[in-house]
Amino acid sequence: MSRPKGFVVLGRAVAVPVSRVSVVAGLVLTVLLLAACVATLSLGRLGIPLTDLLGALTGGARGKAAFVLERLRGPRLVVGLGTGAALGLSGALFQTVTRNPLGSPDVIGLASGAGAGAAAVALLLPGVVPVPIGALAGAVLAVVVVYVSTGTGFRNPGRLIVAGIGVSAISVAFIQYVVYAVERDKATVLTAYVNGSLSARSWEHAVTIGIVLLVVAPLAAAISGRLALSEMGDETAGMLGAEPGGTRTAAVALSVVLSAGAVAVAGPITFISLTAPQIARRLTGGTGPHLMLSSLTGALLLVLADLAAQQLPLPGGVPVGVYTLALGGLYLGYLLIREWKKGTL
Amino acid sequence: MSTTGLKDAMSTTTTGLEDAMSTTTTGLGARNVTVSYGGDPIVRDVSLDIPQGELTMIIGPNGCGKSTLVKTLARIMKPDHGQVLLHGRDIWSYRGRQAARHVALLPQNPVAPDGITVRGLVRRGRYPHHTLLRQWSPDDDAAIGFALERTGLDDLAEAQAGELSGGQRQRAWIAMVLAQQTDLLLLDEPTTFLDIAHQYDLLELCRELHREGKTIVAVLHDLNQAARFASHLIVMKGGKVVTQGPPSRVLTPELVAEVFGLACDVVPDPRTATPMVIPHASLTDGAA
Repeated sequence: MSRPKGFVVLGRAVAVPVSRVSVVAGLVLTVLLLAACVATLSLGRLGIPLTDLLGALTGGARGKAAFVLERLRGPRLVVGLGTGAALGLSGALFQTVTRNPLGSPDVIGLASGAGAGAAAVALLLPGVVPVPIGALAGAVLAVVVVYVSTGTGFRNPGRLIVAGIGVSAISVAFIQYVVYAVERDKATVLTAYVNGSLSARSWEHAVTIGIVLLVVAPLAAAISGRLALSEMGDETAGMLGAEPGGTRTAAVALSVVLSAGAVAVAGPITFISLTAPQIARRLTGGTGPHLMLSSLTGALLLVLADLAAQQLPLPGGVPVGVYTLALGGLYLGYLLIREWKKGTL
Repeated sequence: MSTTGLKDAMSTTTTGLEDAMSTTTTGLGARNVTVSYGGDPIVRDVSLDIPQGELTMIIGPNGCGKSTLVKTLARIMKPDHGQVLLHGRDIWSYRGRQAARHVALLPQNPVAPDGITVRGLVRRGRYPHHTLLRQWSPDDDAAIGFALERTGLDDLAEAQAGELSGGQRQRAWIAMVLAQQTDLLLLDEPTTFLDIAHQYDLLELCRELHREGKTIVAVLHDLNQAARFASHLIVMKGGKVVTQGPPSRVLTPELVAEVFGLACDVVPDPRTATPMVIPHASLTDGAA
């Protein structure tokens, strides 16, 4: 039997294609991610100095270092990593389904829908329904409304974006109403639900997003091959036996769960799921949904944005969602102009 | 590995189905099939068998249901009523990949993903032969090599599919469905976006593949091309099969008038002696 080139082979039963450029990109992203993690833990007034960091991580943390690692920055960092990865993966799934960079969960109102759901259960019915369930319900509702109001499903990017912007606006208005109705004085609560924030995260949040990723990531990997085929159009994918209808439904469902999970722990952080898959795609120049690289890129982007949120000398503790909003807003503008020039909008 | 070796490898996957195959049909056929896109039926109560070893061409006026019929035969569209049978079993009782090892369809508008090479595109035709964890099979290289060679794309294997000319791109798609190594190849209007030289180029390729033993079904618009290249014609109108048979018997002035609403002479093609349609004038409304 000839040995396949460009495949990782385990015995007779497993042969998975892996391109060299993807492996290199993955390694580079991992190194950058580790560097960003170290910077997050060690920079600033409360940072653990680099010389003490290894000892602190291997269980020797005491006093201030222990507090910073176990209560302050440790959970915040892990939540950032998990949320970023979930957002990147969610975006890669949805953009592949819609075959359009703008067909991303944050652009089409999924994130703000999840935020509205989370706000509703957390503030209107505190303690009755868990926040993640509320986020999931909100995300599902947003997707259904967008799907129904396009009239053509997820295939027409122009309608998808218009419907999504409408759903986003309604969701944000609803969040603002809920926050002002319940918590008149707390502007910080509002920003957390509208923009997303990673401040004051606990290990509980980290566990929540970790479970979501552990459940969803293998399922996403399992449909990755079919998703790659669906890029060739439903008829081609269908005649190859890739069941494009079922694959699309599965990918949307997984994407919704990921976005809801991310919103439940960090609020609707926007533009990570829009930009991460696009960056991953450009890193390799290859085809396919780039699920692994999109997750890594998402994690890196969010950790970097949160590093900026923690360390930049802006007054009042600007939440991380504002940074991603500023960064991604520029990118969204660029994309809109490009698609408009191409005549695909 | 030679192509005969590949065929042996393939036949092992179809053992057990052989009994159900008759000598004259490919094992693919429609039984009282009615298909719609939710509204009025496009294909109405059609029954037919795809003949083994023929180069079949389906002709008919716009909207007659010819594309819909091949999509239904290729398990892309589900019939409202009736069944598509593959070796005696409803084609929807097969799993997708299983059916895709028997029937391939090149659709009208396949999309080449950004950044894909010709070889990468052709490799995707191997998907039905893979499993979730084993996305490679020992026959892959031989099948891909054969498909590239047969379509004359050897030298362009590492080129970006997006940078090919229209004729080359269509050949790349043909190579993808060839790599699929099916008994049967369905082509939905394969010449539509090609200039006339590349149309004949592609039809010649179909004829060569047919002579090498492939069973091919193509939807075609041009009557004279169909008459020249097909060994079997299926004529459709209003979602029904009007008639079928060899072009010399089927293509008559009466049939063209009835099906297309076009008055014409049918004379022998001076080069090939196949029937050739010389139009007079349209019989439909609006004609002078």
